Amino acid sequence: MELLGTIVGITIKSLIFIVGMFLAAAYLTLLERKFAGHVQQRPGPLHVGSHGLLQPIADALKVLTKEDLVPDNVDKFLFYLASLLAFVPSIMILAVVPFGEPFEIFGFKIYPYVSDVNVGLLLALAFGSISLYGVIFAGWASNSKYPMLGSLRKAAVLIGYEVALGFAIAGPIMQAGTFSLREIVEAQQGLWFIIPNILGFVVIVFSVLAETGRTPFDVQEAEAELVGGYVTEYSAMKFGLFPLAEWYIATFVLSAITVILFFGGWNPLPLLGWLPIPGFIWFMLKLFAVFMFFLWVHWTVPRYRVDQITELAWKVMLPLALANIFIVAIWIMIFG
Amino acid sequence: MVRVKYVERPELSNKERILFIDFLKGMKVTITNFFRKTITTAYPFEKLTPPKRFRGTHALRVKNGKEPPSFKVLEKFMEIKDGESRCVACYMCQQACPVPELFKIEAVQLPNGKKRVVRFDMNLLNCMYCGLCTEACPVDCIIMTDIYETAAYHRASCVTHMEDMMKRAVDYDTRRYDEPDRIWIDDKERSKLWGQIKWS
Repeated sequence: MELLGTIVGITIKSLIFIVGMFLAAAYLTLLERKFAGHVQQRPGPLHVGSHGLLQPIADALKVLTKEDLVPDNVDKFLFYLASLLAFVPSIMILAVVPFGEPFEIFGFKIYPYVSDVNVGLLLALAFGSISLYGVIFAGWASNSKYPMLGSLRKAAVLIGYEVALGFAIAGPIMQAGTFSLREIVEAQQGLWFIIPNILGFVVIVFSVLAETGRTPFDVQEAEAELVGGYVTEYSAMKFGLFPLAEWYIATFVLSAITVILFFGGWNPLPLLGWLPIPGFIWFMLKLFAVFMFFLWVHWTVPRYRVDQITELAWKVMLPLALANIFIVAIWIMIFG
Repeated sequence: MVRVKYVERPELSNKERILFIDFLKGMKVTITNFFRKTITTAYPFEKLTPPKRFRGTHALRVKNGKEPPSFKVLEKFMEIKDGESRCVACYMCQQACPVPELFKIEAVQLPNGKKRVVRFDMNLLNCMYCGLCTEACPVDCIIMTDIYETAAYHRASCVTHMEDMMKRAVDYDTRRYDEPDRIWIDDKERSKLWGQIKWS
């Protein structure tokens, strides 16, 4: 009976997370388009609803009702699998991301996370890496040169940043002494991990930009060179899932992990702890700020070449991540 | 001889490398733009008036007493009533045109020996809107108006005929004949974006 209750509870919670993430991703598209517009001194979506508020719904209707073309010569199984493989794992990261500390409503104790796994951070990294197979499969299955080039570039970038990412998260783990994201946040009640881990933060920003395929590192779809990159042969919702997964859900979730690792999760800002703001709101504020930072970078900088990205990853970011581990080790030796 | 000049690119200083100075400069540019006012016009709802010299859809001016002196000379040979196109079928526009096939001009000789233009069609799909025809016209007949919305559902509707072009010229002249020839026109949409212009 207790097992049944747990299953029902987790199912309901997962549904809430998934539906909420869908809606959030839809409105993140609007946010990004508005931001991109204003950066270029144009207003962005303006006419569907007040200031384009209904634009995501119109987009979703359009994308869902379009003809779903599948070219003749594609590898059908991988072609269908790729769009799901890009989308599902990036939404599965949500399973381990805690959005706040447990609180009580009407006597029920509510946990604002699906599960608190003691290897949560590793799971999040694993899901993030699996979702990249979607991109690579899409390029292979499309049986066409531009998608192929796009996915090869993504694979080249992947080799570079994954190593640096793995080393960069070692710093916070060393300080917290755990892989559980909730316990990492609880370890930051005094001082946020950004203080000794500043180099690690730089590496994480690099890795998140590379993993989510945002400019400077959007070589896999490079619309000026590769038509649409790995999504060239896709249409309708199969096409829509890729940017939704990469640009919105993955960026959102990885921003959440960045906040958890470096900015104290749902702990309040320093000196503002007396404000009657719940932890969830603090978390969302920080998350929003980090997400907007990624958008800001995306709409500012031009694209690197693949060889430059690999060079940056291996020659700059990997030593930085190792130096970060060294600094954190000394920090732990001095301050305990 | 080809002369080659080698330009030395400045290397990044260590300070710039460590603190991402150029990256931060770029970020500053985008964020200042973000807080600026947008400079767009909501096109189908607000339309900017093009300047008078704009090269839009063609039109044929009619005989209305404002002709250049050359028209008085040619008029003797022509059968043109008031309010009709002042085209004298000299084919100068077709001669000047880079794509002469787009003109279909026909003129007939009437029993009284005078010449009358019966057909003046332009296939605007082939037109590159260079404006050479308007410069070639000796009687200031063919002009280019400020109409720029030329999209149509059929290719046949992109061929413009003499009657349409006469109507268009009458419309254009009633609106803008007396206007000074300026680069920017003070209309509501433009002054909303850039403020009122003070002309000397």
